[in-house]
Amino acid sequence: MALHEEIHESLIAFCEGYNNNAKLKAMNRDWDRTVLVRATDVDSEHTLTLKGGDLTLSEGAPGEPPHLTVLGDSETLVDLFYGDITPTEPYLKGNLKVLGEEDDVLRLDFISLMIWGE
Amino acid sequence: MAPKRVVSVSLGSSKRDHRVDVSFLGQPFEISRRGTDGDMEKAIATLKELDGNVDAIGLGGIDVYLYVGQQQYVIQDALKLLEAVKVTPVVDGSGLKNTLEREVVRYLSRKTDLIPPGTKVLMVSAADRFGMAEAFVEAGCDMIFGDLIFAMGVPYPIRTLAELEQIANKLLPEICKMPFHMIYPTGKKQETVDEEKAAKFAPFYKEARVIAGDFHMVRRFLPAQLEGQIIVTNTTTPSDVNLLRERGAGYLITTTPELDGRSFGTNVMEGVLVALLAKPLSAITPDDYLDLLRRLNFEPKIRKLN
Repeated sequence: MALHEEIHESLIAFCEGYNNNAKLKAMNRDWDRTVLVRATDVDSEHTLTLKGGDLTLSEGAPGEPPHLTVLGDSETLVDLFYGDITPTEPYLKGNLKVLGEEDDVLRLDFISLMIWGE
Repeated sequence: MAPKRVVSVSLGSSKRDHRVDVSFLGQPFEISRRGTDGDMEKAIATLKELDGNVDAIGLGGIDVYLYVGQQQYVIQDALKLLEAVKVTPVVDGSGLKNTLEREVVRYLSRKTDLIPPGTKVLMVSAADRFGMAEAFVEAGCDMIFGDLIFAMGVPYPIRTLAELEQIANKLLPEICKMPFHMIYPTGKKQETVDEEKAAKFAPFYKEARVIAGDFHMVRRFLPAQLEGQIIVTNTTTPSDVNLLRERGAGYLITTTPELDGRSFGTNVMEGVLVALLAKPLSAITPDDYLDLLRRLNFEPKIRKLN
């Protein structure tokens, strides 16, 4: 089991990976979304906010219902946001759920793969 | 002479099902299509039923293999379909795409004035038609590869083969593991235009002189009004032709031959070639296809619409 702080650090790494990629930021200028990241085995919630191509991180849930909710056990979330695993494997094993519109789910996968893909 | 039977099993709509009798190089063929409305289980059951009872099977509405540069990617959902067939040769059209479609672009470049150097070409997707993409580049066209735009919803035009390869290497190993319906219109989605995205992405269509690639993708994002663009694609029905005419396309160029008023998918035509070659699939080379295509006098069909 990972701690809230470890999830937080992994999300910081994810945001840095995203924000250091100018092309990826340009690709997502049209996609303003809030993403709630919630662990299922520890008390941990974070919000990723995409606006105008920039990605920011805050602790806790967003004030309004999020566009996407990422649910997973703490170890899976940490592995995922550090890029040690791709989303596909935990999806198929049932360790990860992403709730939201299918197009948005695909877009979040795209971002993750563009940051950490081969 | 007994006809050879080639059946295309498609994840697409059953509304497009049809059957034709035709002859190639003196060999009669019975060609038919069986759509499964996006239902994978139904497709597997149909494939098992046909296995051993027909001369070749084409997989329609899905690719098994994507080729980008020297890299091959395998779509896992499609592999399940392929593995359901044990006896009959089964093809997805990728072998023919890599030969016939490359030749079609060369034909247009050398024998027509439709794609002079500098022509702006939008390929709605190039990962499933890398041969065609390379041929347009060789012809000196100004390319936009719409793979991210239309498959992922990301309004980012890829402009070079090198960038396409770079992005494909990052995305495709994982994208290929996703449920196929997430990345390609299947079933009823093939019968409709996604008007919201068509409007959002219309500038990419309108800036191009040529729109090329898979017809289901072309149709899914077809803007309300085109401005005389040339459509280069494979599978069209009479109603598809009417739709393109109504929306203002200038020309329709189909890469596979027209039989009974419609052009068939590359998977069907690859099935025909495999049945004619009567060789094990593993022994067939691109030159075998090219030689056969020349003997069959395959040429693209060019139709003026507006």
